[in-house]
Amino acid sequence: MTAVTPPVTRSHGREAARALAAELSKLVSLPATWLTLGGTLAANPILAIAFTNAARHGPTGPRSAPDVGLTSIAYVQAGFVVLGVLAACSEYEGGQIRTTLTAMPRRSLQFAAKHLAVAIVALPAAAITAASGVVLAAGALGGTAAPTTAGHVVRTLSGAAAYLALWTLIGVAVGALVRQTLPAVVAVLGYLFIAGPLLRAQASAARYLPDSAGSAMWSSVDGGAVAPARGALLVSAWTIGLIAVALLGYRRRDN
Amino acid sequence: MRALAAEVAKLVSLPSVWIATAAGVLVPSGIAAINASAARGAITRGARATAGADLGYQELAFGVVGVIILGVVAISSEYVTESAESGGGRQITTSLTAVPSRLRFLLAKASAVAIAGASLAIVAGAATMSAVRVVLGEHAPPLGTDDVPRLAGVVCYWVCAALLAFAITVLTRHGVVPLAVLIANTSVVSVTYLLTKITPLANYLPDLAGAHMFVRTFAGGTVEISPLTGGLVMTAWTTALLTVAAVAFTRRDA
Amino acid sequence: MTVITIDDLVKRRGSREILSGISFQARPGRVTGFLGPNGAGKSSTLRILLGLDRATSGTALIGSVPFARLPDPLATVGAMLDGSGAHRARTGRAHLRWVARSAGLPRRRVDEVLEVVGLTNAASKRIGGYSLGMGRRLALATALLGDPEILILDEPVNGLDPDGIRWIRTFLRERAASGRTVLLSSHLMGELAETVDDVVIIKEGRVVADGTLEEVTGSHGTLEDAFFALTTGGAP
Repeated sequence: MTAVTPPVTRSHGREAARALAAELSKLVSLPATWLTLGGTLAANPILAIAFTNAARHGPTGPRSAPDVGLTSIAYVQAGFVVLGVLAACSEYEGGQIRTTLTAMPRRSLQFAAKHLAVAIVALPAAAITAASGVVLAAGALGGTAAPTTAGHVVRTLSGAAAYLALWTLIGVAVGALVRQTLPAVVAVLGYLFIAGPLLRAQASAARYLPDSAGSAMWSSVDGGAVAPARGALLVSAWTIGLIAVALLGYRRRDN
Repeated sequence: MRALAAEVAKLVSLPSVWIATAAGVLVPSGIAAINASAARGAITRGARATAGADLGYQELAFGVVGVIILGVVAISSEYVTESAESGGGRQITTSLTAVPSRLRFLLAKASAVAIAGASLAIVAGAATMSAVRVVLGEHAPPLGTDDVPRLAGVVCYWVCAALLAFAITVLTRHGVVPLAVLIANTSVVSVTYLLTKITPLANYLPDLAGAHMFVRTFAGGTVEISPLTGGLVMTAWTTALLTVAAVAFTRRDA
Repeated sequence: MTVITIDDLVKRRGSREILSGISFQARPGRVTGFLGPNGAGKSSTLRILLGLDRATSGTALIGSVPFARLPDPLATVGAMLDGSGAHRARTGRAHLRWVARSAGLPRRRVDEVLEVVGLTNAASKRIGGYSLGMGRRLALATALLGDPEILILDEPVNGLDPDGIRWIRTFLRERAASGRTVLLSSHLMGELAETVDDVVIIKEGRVVADGTLEEVTGSHGTLEDAFFALTTGGAP
């Protein structure tokens, strides 16, 4: 037979594109991806309607549609975190990680491709989630809503979508560190729903943590929060930091 | 009895159960210590006369996350195949060949969860109340006869929460969804609490009704529920969900 | 034509030494059998060769480079380790598709390998519903996707039915006859004697025999006798 002589230099661009295609293919062929996204997208309108109702009967004065419609983000972020954790931890089921690493042995490249693939899937879902809540709130509040500007709507909507996508990536990073779905979900959600809010109530430095800083990207309720742009920068920095730590572990560990 | 012993042995050999224990004990006692220290500051400044009657109890409501994890992993661990070398084998197959009666298997497992949940509640309750007393010192509210039913309420609440998480996971067979939903609902402003703003009926959801067993003051509470009623409502929910879970579990393929 | 070269491989986990200086080669055109009792270090060696685990010291090379630096890993090495190496919630076809995408292989290739291993009819079924043997066939299909020059197989006949075992024997002989390199580990002696050209036997992380089948079998009569003579009792 004629031996196939491999090219001496490999094309990094093509290799990256293939890794991304493989990671996207993995993500869309995993039923859990669609179940998680479907469940999250279905739960959000229900919560948004509940919050809008609560806001109408609430003691505070009139509130704007984005203000009310995005309140549910604080809960449905759980779905996005789960999506991220599942994307990372599904590698460890059935020994798939061995197939992944023999097909894509450049671990940093594969790791980056996985995060990018998750972001590509999560971002549109996050945008739909945020927009659906605001539209529902606007419809339900009708004339009773406080006036708002188009600029404010765009800023909070894009902020919410970016926030959800970033937390999805944090889910991937923690999942890759922990490698088991349940402990990773407990860690991230335990922080987001229990430790985070309690820290916020006790220490002012907590506003630099990724949950509080992140909520400044879309919520106008929090009084002592950082500015939205600064919040976005802080969460991005936390996300990148966590991904970097996870990558260090991923490169070193035996699989 | 042998099935129960086997289930208790399985439970304590799960690493996640030790995470659950740590969460269940450290979360409420840690928060209680922080809150007690804030209360102490307020008292010495003269801003407040006494620490609130719910100090310690309020925090134990968050600690329930520990038994939620316990209830979920007790059953989800039977279905997990995440270990790379397992070759796709699931423990449930082994379990059901060891204890062929599905109902007995489920009963043994639920009992193990209840026992573990109660033990964890007692340890967490003791740790949390001690933390409050150590931090507050002389300002600590004295423990009286009133506290006995309240602490019993905490134990009952934790056991019911563990069994609810267990029953839901029997139905889903996968731990992630119940865990995510239940942890999200343990947050400071829970979804069920928000639902009470829409309908007073939401006060009879298990977590809110059950909390009346030991928490005295509810911010913006819309319905008066006595501790006994609260306990009965939560127990009814738990029994109903366990029954549904048992019916589903005995009818479907493992 | 690519040689596999393992040179003085040492692997420690904590205080335990799993490999204590393994060296051998697997050559093109030959089927090399890698034998040893359970826990001798066969899988560890193969995992280091594939870049899954890190060696404490020593090298494992495909041609002249470590696996992780191969320009086109899937077209160079096909690997089949234990289990299916696939997530149970996907279908067999979906699993092969993502692997094919990672190497830019056409979709047609997926159907070809499914056909080769006889999984065409089960391709649309969830892997969770596969039998052990079907999972192994899927792992082999994954290894064959890139039509690689080298096949590395860990216990390939584990879980296969007698038909499958006979099929894989013929298949591996054909691969070697076409000039490719085949390295397989096993603890099934009788099976191996009919498949391999060269034999490497390890015990407790050390090579105790390395040569052609005839050389290793030597005066012992059968490979099985040689294996037991070399791996049981005192130090070799």
